[in-house]
Amino acid sequence: MVKLEPAVLQAVSKPARYTGNEWNAIKKDHSKVACTFALALPDVYEVGMSNLGIKILYEVLNKRADTAAERVFAPWIDMEAKMREQDIPLFSLETFTEIKDFDLIGFSLQYEMIYTNMLNMLDLAHIPLWSKDRSNTDTFVVGGGPCVYNTEPISAFFDFFIIGEGEEVICEVAAAFCTWKRENRKGGRNGFLQQVAEINGVYVPSFYEPVYDEAELFKEIKIIDEHAKKIVYKRVVKDMDAIDFVEKPVVPYIDIVHDRIMLELFRGCSRGCRFCQAGIAYRPVRERTEKRLKDLARKLIDTTGYDEISLTSLSSADYSCLGALVDDLMDEFKDEKVSFSLPSLRIDSFSIDLAHKMQKVRKSGLTFAPEAGTQRLRDVINKGVTEEDLITAASAAFRQGWKSVKLYFMIGLPTETDEDVIGIARLAQRVVDLYKEVKGRRGVKVTVSAACFVPKPYTPFQWFSQNSLEEFERKQQLLKEHIHDRSIQFNYHDAHVSYLEGAIARGDRRLAKVIHQAWQDGAKFDGWSDQFKYEIWIKAFEKCGIDPRFYNQRERTVTERLPWEHTSPGVNKEFLLREYHRALKGELTEDCRHGECSACGICPNLDVKVVDWGKKNE
Amino acid sequence: MNKFRIEITKGEGIRYISHLDYAALIERAICRSGLPAAYSEGFNPHMKIAFASALAVGVTSDAEYMDIELAKPVCQPEFFDRLKENLPEGAKLLKAKQFEEKHKALMAEVDLAGYEIKVPLHGALVEALKAVKKYNDEAEVFYKRVTPKKMREIEVKQYMKSDIQLQGNDDMLILHMQVTITSSGSIKPGEILELLKDSFGMPIEPMEALINRQTLSGRGKPLIDLV
Repeated sequence: MVKLEPAVLQAVSKPARYTGNEWNAIKKDHSKVACTFALALPDVYEVGMSNLGIKILYEVLNKRADTAAERVFAPWIDMEAKMREQDIPLFSLETFTEIKDFDLIGFSLQYEMIYTNMLNMLDLAHIPLWSKDRSNTDTFVVGGGPCVYNTEPISAFFDFFIIGEGEEVICEVAAAFCTWKRENRKGGRNGFLQQVAEINGVYVPSFYEPVYDEAELFKEIKIIDEHAKKIVYKRVVKDMDAIDFVEKPVVPYIDIVHDRIMLELFRGCSRGCRFCQAGIAYRPVRERTEKRLKDLARKLIDTTGYDEISLTSLSSADYSCLGALVDDLMDEFKDEKVSFSLPSLRIDSFSIDLAHKMQKVRKSGLTFAPEAGTQRLRDVINKGVTEEDLITAASAAFRQGWKSVKLYFMIGLPTETDEDVIGIARLAQRVVDLYKEVKGRRGVKVTVSAACFVPKPYTPFQWFSQNSLEEFERKQQLLKEHIHDRSIQFNYHDAHVSYLEGAIARGDRRLAKVIHQAWQDGAKFDGWSDQFKYEIWIKAFEKCGIDPRFYNQRERTVTERLPWEHTSPGVNKEFLLREYHRALKGELTEDCRHGECSACGICPNLDVKVVDWGKKNE
Repeated sequence: MNKFRIEITKGEGIRYISHLDYAALIERAICRSGLPAAYSEGFNPHMKIAFASALAVGVTSDAEYMDIELAKPVCQPEFFDRLKENLPEGAKLLKAKQFEEKHKALMAEVDLAGYEIKVPLHGALVEALKAVKKYNDEAEVFYKRVTPKKMREIEVKQYMKSDIQLQGNDDMLILHMQVTITSSGSIKPGEILELLKDSFGMPIEPMEALINRQTLSGRGKPLIDLV
């Protein structure tokens, strides 16, 4: 058991990040369980504790009598320094057990720029970083989360990955571990990996070997162990009502990023935005029933004492019974001062009316995501939103009393011209002018955020060449020059981060040494703008003799084999290709839950169906 | 009036949370307990809870006090049991007293805090004894309180109700001190430790100290006995 001295905890910022003991935290006696599973998110406590996936896995694993699941997050820079100085190993927040004494550690991989933190945590835990260096007594290192649709750049650090939705398969993994342990660890480390390789949704990278051609292009992945599957498809929950959800989440003492109940309405979004990986990764749409959601809300309020519920989903306003659900919830909790929020709004007046209902007195800002500045480009990305939609929604919002609007855009989308970039400024200006028209006075605040587009695997833009750093920066300046009104605040992201993210997102196994090198040279918390050090990364690429442009700037031919195609969300490549061509022609594709099936292949490939309760009630 | 004054601990498990975190913890426990809390009016209603005195990050307490107002009457045993079972390990409910009459705010009633401090000794015990004696003998001692916004010099001895008591052996010191809390301010025990080290040569590291507030009182009585 790791004991933290007061001299350590008093010397670091927010020491309660490291002292656990929260309400609903589950402490089990490790001598009485067969499997101990550390659940890690490689960012600080406040970020990790806000992740719904970790909460779900924590609960389903701890429901098993044979398993103890505990949490661990990345120590902040000051705490890491203390831990290294005093030789304190990475520990869990429940029983302060050393992480290397756990049977498995599962990392939630939310985005590419968190990889160095993952390595740093393994290092602090004294677990060998490379899976090949781990011996029979070492902890199994497991990965999951959105990054699994291209695990290749980090596959050398992991024993296996869980592809897709984790709550069912992680229990199968825990059960397999218990069996393997009972059978005296038959076949050693590799024996267990062979067993889990047979579980649907589990990918064991050491059972595969990439082949590259003379031109250094990825040619194919060779299977080198007979237990390995040719393609590992994602796991997907068929019935959202039947599956366990979080009922007793750990309630933190300190303020975290999302310090409220997350009530997950449904999974999936089939609006079909062509830049969006989540849209493919979480298909198809599967809703929970209103009844189940109301039951869950009641339980969650009673077990946590929170006074706010966020109705979460990829696009919550698309929940088919949202109006009725919100009315019922507000009625049920009216005496308990519980408030509700929608994290994502659709650009329409239905959403505005709902938001108005939910925020009766205080109107915090509204956020819309038109994503692109012109109709032409919005058609390219299949964002089924017109300027008129935005104007209608914004007028409704202004009439209801909102005074501040955030608009999210991307720059660097395929086929983008300067006119599209300037269109962002024009659209923002139109919203400013609209406020004056509606209210007869000035006083609106419009915040424009422009992210740099990163093409991701398993999207119709996976072949596309990312903009260069210079191009991103030129477009940022161009946009800045076209914003004249003082009511508009323009935020843009550091293009360097997106540039690296672009290289890693579509990378292959050869990038592992670059990530390792960058970590060795001090890269960590790369997602934190005050910690991100571009120089370290670029030097790491140089030291390893790898040009990031090969990965982010190169337009792939459609016949090229892609290094991530053996861990699949179930989508057909033909669909992605069809969408790519339609994008170039600016043709729209319907949302399959309301319109025609666009034959993405996921439902038949994974034997799953769209679940839309509104439709069923029609 | 449906008010309760409670006596409650801030134990080891929650030593490192801030005063605001502690307040949020109590509010959530009240929500979980289903007790009918009273809320303030206005745009941003908040639960009607009043605290006696804020406790710093890293400091535990044997007895914190707060007044909680309910919107509907609840009998004492029910209040006590429901709140107790919804509090986390580190916050142990010791007493709850119902009171009807209008009462001075807790913050205005509290005038004295008693602390016990355990701190490792990095030198000779005799040096520590000498430092404490010298501190106790001084008529005035000044502490420079530096906050991100400003620097202020505070005369500390005006807040010392009595001499600091020191016991200990070659490894560990135990200090007891009684610090007055006034409407114009007070001094934190951690700040006194810094002074003892920096100005009186006490061989300790204040960062290593475990500080525990043992008592909070007003007019010579524990705050719970004032209602």
